Amino acid sequence: MADFNTSIKDQGAVSIINLKGYLDAHTAPILENNFVDLIDKNRFNIVVDFKELAYISSAGLGVFMAYIEKIRESKGDIKLSGMTEKVFNIFDLLGFPLLYEIFKSEDEAVKKFIE
Amino acid sequence: MSLNRYKISANLNWWIIGTLVFSIIFYRILFFSNDSHFFFIINDLIVITLIAITILVIIKKIRQTNPHPSALVLNSGIIVSFIFLIILFSEPILEVLSQNSTTINVNPDLFQNIILSFYSLMFLVITSYWFATLKELYFYKRYSAKNTYFYLMVVFLILTSVASLLFRGEKYDFINHTFEIVTAILIVFNSLKISWIAFISKKEKISLLILSIIISTLFIINLANSSQNDFNGKILANFSPAFYTFYTLVLLYGGIYFAVLFFTTLFHIPTAEAYDRKAKEVSSLQYFSKLITQVLDFDELAETITDIATKVSSADSAWIVIKNSKSQKTIANKNIAYVDAEIINNYLLQSGVCENITETKLCSLDKFGEKSRLSEKYGSVAISPLKSMNETKGYLIAARKNDFIFYDEDKTAINTFADYASVAIENSLLLEQSIEKERLEKEFDVARDIQRKILPLKEPESKNYSITSVFIPAFEVGGDYYDYFEIGNNKLGFIIADVSGKGISAAFIMAEVKGIFSSLSRMIETPKDILIKANEILLQTLNKKSFVSALYGIIDTEKEELSFVRAGHCPALLVRDNKLETFKPSGIGLGLTNNSAFTNHLEEIKINLKEMDTLVFYTDGITEAKNKEMEDFGEDRFNNILVNNTSKSVSQIANEVIKEVTLFSSDHHQYDDITLIILKWHKKNNIDGV
Repeated sequence: MADFNTSIKDQGAVSIINLKGYLDAHTAPILENNFVDLIDKNRFNIVVDFKELAYISSAGLGVFMAYIEKIRESKGDIKLSGMTEKVFNIFDLLGFPLLYEIFKSEDEAVKKFIE
Repeated sequence: MSLNRYKISANLNWWIIGTLVFSIIFYRILFFSNDSHFFFIINDLIVITLIAITILVIIKKIRQTNPHPSALVLNSGIIVSFIFLIILFSEPILEVLSQNSTTINVNPDLFQNIILSFYSLMFLVITSYWFATLKELYFYKRYSAKNTYFYLMVVFLILTSVASLLFRGEKYDFINHTFEIVTAILIVFNSLKISWIAFISKKEKISLLILSIIISTLFIINLANSSQNDFNGKILANFSPAFYTFYTLVLLYGGIYFAVLFFTTLFHIPTAEAYDRKAKEVSSLQYFSKLITQVLDFDELAETITDIATKVSSADSAWIVIKNSKSQKTIANKNIAYVDAEIINNYLLQSGVCENITETKLCSLDKFGEKSRLSEKYGSVAISPLKSMNETKGYLIAARKNDFIFYDEDKTAINTFADYASVAIENSLLLEQSIEKERLEKEFDVARDIQRKILPLKEPESKNYSITSVFIPAFEVGGDYYDYFEIGNNKLGFIIADVSGKGISAAFIMAEVKGIFSSLSRMIETPKDILIKANEILLQTLNKKSFVSALYGIIDTEKEELSFVRAGHCPALLVRDNKLETFKPSGIGLGLTNNSAFTNHLEEIKINLKEMDTLVFYTDGITEAKNKEMEDFGEDRFNNILVNNTSKSVSQIANEVIKEVTLFSSDHHQYDDITLIILKWHKKNNIDGV
């Protein structure tokens, strides 16, 4: 169905994944591969930016749960940023703000890692 | 059995030939007489039999190997040049051997007799071979059954030979000449219409043109050097007059046949290319039909494509590159290491050399800087796009090693073939997709069936409340689940949940969730404790990516109280006095986090129920229902409907909601299950008072 793609950039020790489009059961494997690649490269400080994400389904949310344990064990973290209100509500409903740090902007999230 | 019989008959042939050879030699030694007519008749009878059997044996041998006509021509050419040299040098060699050539005809001694007999027998075998070859060439690819002229010629060959034996002396010359002329005419006649020329390629025609003129000339020269006055002619005529005549006639036949062959080939040369192209097209059609039958298995199809690609383009190697959204994949490597193929791919596709090609392109690897990294010396590649619905899905690449480069003909051949291959690949992929689609549909059917059996059959009934539920499954099965549990006489437990994921995996988790809650609701008193236990169980059984959002509540008719907890689920709504209140206590979805975090954030809410309170529980299938513009139905629309219809009965309110949601999303496919539970409280005293 609808399109989804990601782009990754490195900013010092932090890797930023930008999401774009619709993240659902069909497109979730793309993001999963991104996480696997970063873990392979021992890059555990990850910011996922949602600025351009239009929609996320439950399968999309599951991707974050799949790798968070491993990343935190390796002293890293996934921080989320730039969610639209709609996307934030979906995260909020499930209680994600209790599990992840969510920031207004990508920069704030990156700064938090550096501190 | 048949093999044994063949061996016996083959041995028999050799026995006969051997016997005949010995008998002719002994016969000549014992009874030699130059003047006796009778001597020559017996002599030639043996010789003619020997010729006949030798020819039959040679034809059989030729048939066994089933050679190409150009091979036959080449063999005759080698032998005719050999004979040319023999004739040239026979006189001095034989003179040395026999010391005195003048005595040859008169009274040969024993040694000389044997030498000359073997010399003549060698000619006999070679003549037989020529004749056998000419016969095979005549019959090659000749489908018409009219062989009368050939057999007539054979008859006249025999008659002429026999006549030369019977009618010796000048006064009979006219008879012999008549026979010779008739035979010569038949030879010319049989040399015309060489049909097999059309079936050989242009390259072969050119070499045939040169060969045939040389062979023809040599036959004629040999014929000229074999007259009865020449040394060689004398020996053969002395050996056997009949054989000598046969020998000269075969030389004539050879000279004429190869001369005609030369001209026929010459006239065929201009059309040779057209024939080649036709032949290639025909074989391409065969290949195409081969491709059609293999669309069922994509990998096998790819292998066949590269295999045929090397054949149609005479390439050393071929492989296919399949493009995905981002990456590319090399498959079906034929005669090339995977690493080499990748290196060439990178050069062709990523350096921009072959971007956006619409047809086959020939590329030289001469300027390729990393050529030295290749394990073999590839020099020239032909890359063809594999198109499907105007989109390049991949490439078919063929490569040649060393200095062999691709030419324009190869390009045309590969291009045509790549078009066929594209169609086959497209069909194969479409077939795969439709099989996959059917499989998914079956899977969803099963999932929906499971879901239907898990959900409650009927609503609970009570004097203190009326309750209704609506459930509309999505095609893919969204994983919604709700259930009621009667606890004792005055309590109703209920759950509304949404399992992450879709299809059969969601259906299985639903079944598990149902099991967990039906047992926990009987064992544990408070909603909060039930969810904590449920989280503990689900953490162990669900995979990391899966989770369940749930809202679990208990209605206590005695206390007139609703207590509930929310684990990541949509909030509970209460419409009281035409006002809507949203209850969204803190709570993380089930299966997301360890029990201590889950417990710490789980908040239980209690609501004292009042007359005509309307409680609404739902899943996000309602609020996230989408219209054509991909807008959400949203909470505002939902809340308004609830407030505006609050005075109606629960089923009327539910109908109203569903009607609006359906209207809103009528232009859009329903992605997620929709579940809606509405409960209306009737005050305990009221009912009791009735």
